[in-house]
Amino acid sequence: MAGYILRRLVALIPVLLGVTILVFSIMHLSPGDPAKIILGPKATEESLQQLRTELGLNLPVHEQYLRWIGNVFKGDWGRSIQLKMEVLPLILDRFGATLILTAASIFLAAFFGILFGVIAAARKYTFVDRFLMLIILIGFCMPVFWLGILLQIGFGLKLDWLPISGMYPPGERGAGELLKHLILPAISLSMGSGAIIARMTRSSMLEVLDHDYIRTAYAKGIRERKVVFKHALKNAFIPVITVLGMQIGFLLAGAVLVEIVFSWPGIGTLMINGILARDFPLVQGIILFVATTYVVINLLVDIIYAFLDPRISYE
Amino acid sequence: MKKWLLLLLSVVMIFTVFTGCSSEPAADSNNSQNEQEGGKKVIVVGLQAEPTSLDAHQISDYNSSRAAMEIYDQLVQFKDESTELEPDLAEKWDVSDDGMEYTFYLKKDIKFHDGTPFNAEAVKFSIERQIDPDHPYHDTGQFAYAEFTFGPVDRVEVVDDYTVKIYLKEPFAPFLSNMAMHAASIVSPEAVKKYGKDFSRNPVGTGPYKYVRWDPGVEVVLEKNPDYFKGEPKVDQLIFKPITDDQTRLAELEAGNLDLIVNVTPDDLVRLKEDGNFQVIEQAGMHVWWTAFNTQKEPFNNKKVRQAINYAVNKEAIVNEILKGTGELANSPLPPTVWGHNPNVKNYEYNPEKARQLLEEAGYPNGFEATYWIPESGSGMQQPATMAAAIQADLAKVGIELNIQTLEWGSYLDKVFVPPSENDMDMHQMSWIGDNGDPDNFLYILLSSEQWPTAGFNDAYYKNERVDELLSQARVTSDKEKRTQMYEEAQEIIMEDAPWIVLDHEKQIVIAQKNIKNFKLHPTGVFRFSNVDVE
Repeated sequence: MAGYILRRLVALIPVLLGVTILVFSIMHLSPGDPAKIILGPKATEESLQQLRTELGLNLPVHEQYLRWIGNVFKGDWGRSIQLKMEVLPLILDRFGATLILTAASIFLAAFFGILFGVIAAARKYTFVDRFLMLIILIGFCMPVFWLGILLQIGFGLKLDWLPISGMYPPGERGAGELLKHLILPAISLSMGSGAIIARMTRSSMLEVLDHDYIRTAYAKGIRERKVVFKHALKNAFIPVITVLGMQIGFLLAGAVLVEIVFSWPGIGTLMINGILARDFPLVQGIILFVATTYVVINLLVDIIYAFLDPRISYE
Repeated sequence: MKKWLLLLLSVVMIFTVFTGCSSEPAADSNNSQNEQEGGKKVIVVGLQAEPTSLDAHQISDYNSSRAAMEIYDQLVQFKDESTELEPDLAEKWDVSDDGMEYTFYLKKDIKFHDGTPFNAEAVKFSIERQIDPDHPYHDTGQFAYAEFTFGPVDRVEVVDDYTVKIYLKEPFAPFLSNMAMHAASIVSPEAVKKYGKDFSRNPVGTGPYKYVRWDPGVEVVLEKNPDYFKGEPKVDQLIFKPITDDQTRLAELEAGNLDLIVNVTPDDLVRLKEDGNFQVIEQAGMHVWWTAFNTQKEPFNNKKVRQAINYAVNKEAIVNEILKGTGELANSPLPPTVWGHNPNVKNYEYNPEKARQLLEEAGYPNGFEATYWIPESGSGMQQPATMAAAIQADLAKVGIELNIQTLEWGSYLDKVFVPPSENDMDMHQMSWIGDNGDPDNFLYILLSSEQWPTAGFNDAYYKNERVDELLSQARVTSDKEKRTQMYEEAQEIIMEDAPWIVLDHEKQIVIAQKNIKNFKLHPTGVFRFSNVDVE
């Protein structure tokens, strides 16, 4: 096991290097001179030149890359051009908010996704099954920003039950306030993933429920709830875990749109503003950070398999 | 069958929760936050994005200037709702006869928010920090507007504690207006020394509001400065919240959680005006939108062709139908909020008949084909594609066929602002947002032949000797009345020559709760709260 984890960790290095090269190229190939965007169209040629020198933009692209990646390894992720602060502390500062939102969404997606999936499978081809699948289809098809706006108008503006946007850092106004602000964005974000998890759970469960041992369990007189949730679900869980792991990364990235709609102060809003301002040190930093989180989570999911299913071994 | 009907009904019911409820606003506009915290008067402002810096010297966007500028004062300031000047931290000032020396006499007994005294040294520090690369605190920021604001400055001299003298390299009449800009704010030297690069997050000035805190992505909070030298402000606290999404910002206002927002879409504006639940405060901004002709290239080097196109475009329809009143129809390149604006010149009325006649006189009875460059979007560009389509349709009626080419803003600017020899442009869109409220900042920079790219922004390559003479002279004349006359004459000639289709001045629009009193817009786009009250 230890050997496997070590091999996987080593394999992360080329993946992350690839990501950095890709991100760096995209930022530097995108049209528009960063110096001009930063100083505005009215800047003089001298001040543009000075800024380019300051940011190292006058160097060849590969040298700029090497300089940047070298500094990243030394812990210096550069300074945000627009916000004039160190990139890494800025990301860590905002990541907390994104993490809260993502964690809540994963919880919602997993809880309702699995619950609905199991119920739909246990009541296959009935009205309940069809109704749940329809809701899931709607959830899957609805763009998150659109759903977000509907929720804002419905529960925020018309019914006035929940705050429309924003968030207070935990501790400032208590957990209750945080929770109230969290509900709508978490629902919007979790809908798509919840739908995928529900469909995955349903099909996986349908397969398992056909096995002989389930019939045996019923024959032994075990109550249906126990058969479905204990005997069947445990074995239907492996593919669900795979999807869940992938959805975590998807949710981290998908949080961008939801954060914008709900003014959630996470790395999504930070990144969008960074892209608009061609704040390349900041954008590169955020993408590298998210990519790292993503691959680490994938690794963790693979490790969890081994614990869940004794048949899987990594030696 | 019955099952499906039941299912359909359930779905419909779920959706009615969101859409159906009622058309009346749920929260009446008086339950806003502004008296929430222990009877304190609070105003919550919805910004379009997070401020980037609260250091007045580093500001280059509206969101930052709106959140920060109440922390500071300048030596001179713009009057309410105009770009005329009045004393601020300086009691009075002299300008030497040759226009090279400006002496400012400062008000006494004013303190920065950190308790240190405001004096001539602070003025010198605030300017030199930005323009002197050898200044010990020059590396505490990037000063995007330093070159524009203090470019003409040769040196700053402290005469005594309350007198400061600024020497220019050459006479430059608009300089006094520059001294009212944000980069000319006076900051506390002790605070800059203490915080260094982090001064932008710990700003200290002399203004009506003091900095309290900045929760990144959440809000910037200021509280009133009870010792403000012009009197204690009436509102206790200002909160600025960045809300990027237009719909969310509007919803927060309608729910009563925000007191004041900017930039609603034209459609929402129409609705808000009809509802009448909010104050809609608007004013033509320091902005102009135009389409430039390449006046150095056929057929646009012919004045009659340019005039014909001007007659052919229905400008009023564009302003009313596309911009829905978010812009004010222009009669000159200079906005009416800037002094020197000539109210007597006329823009070309919509007259396709006259356009055809002029085209025939110019030798194009059957019209011609031309390329029209537009950006996807861009600061001050309003709605490039829709406006271009309207102009294209209008010109088609008089036989001119326009091919629209769309470019990304950054590449667009690179393509437009090149010397005429490198440019095969026919027509393109452009706009300008003024900086210091001086007519020079519009007319000279945009229309003097000394300002052909890349030296400046005369993107039509317009050249008229009389206009050049007037604009150059007005730059070095201190007498404002004489300058006004020169600018008025220049506007007459420019409108006759028609190097542009001058379309509109975009309005600044603020939507506020009805209990906010005395809020006035300023052409520079900053918000002033020192006289604002909450009922």
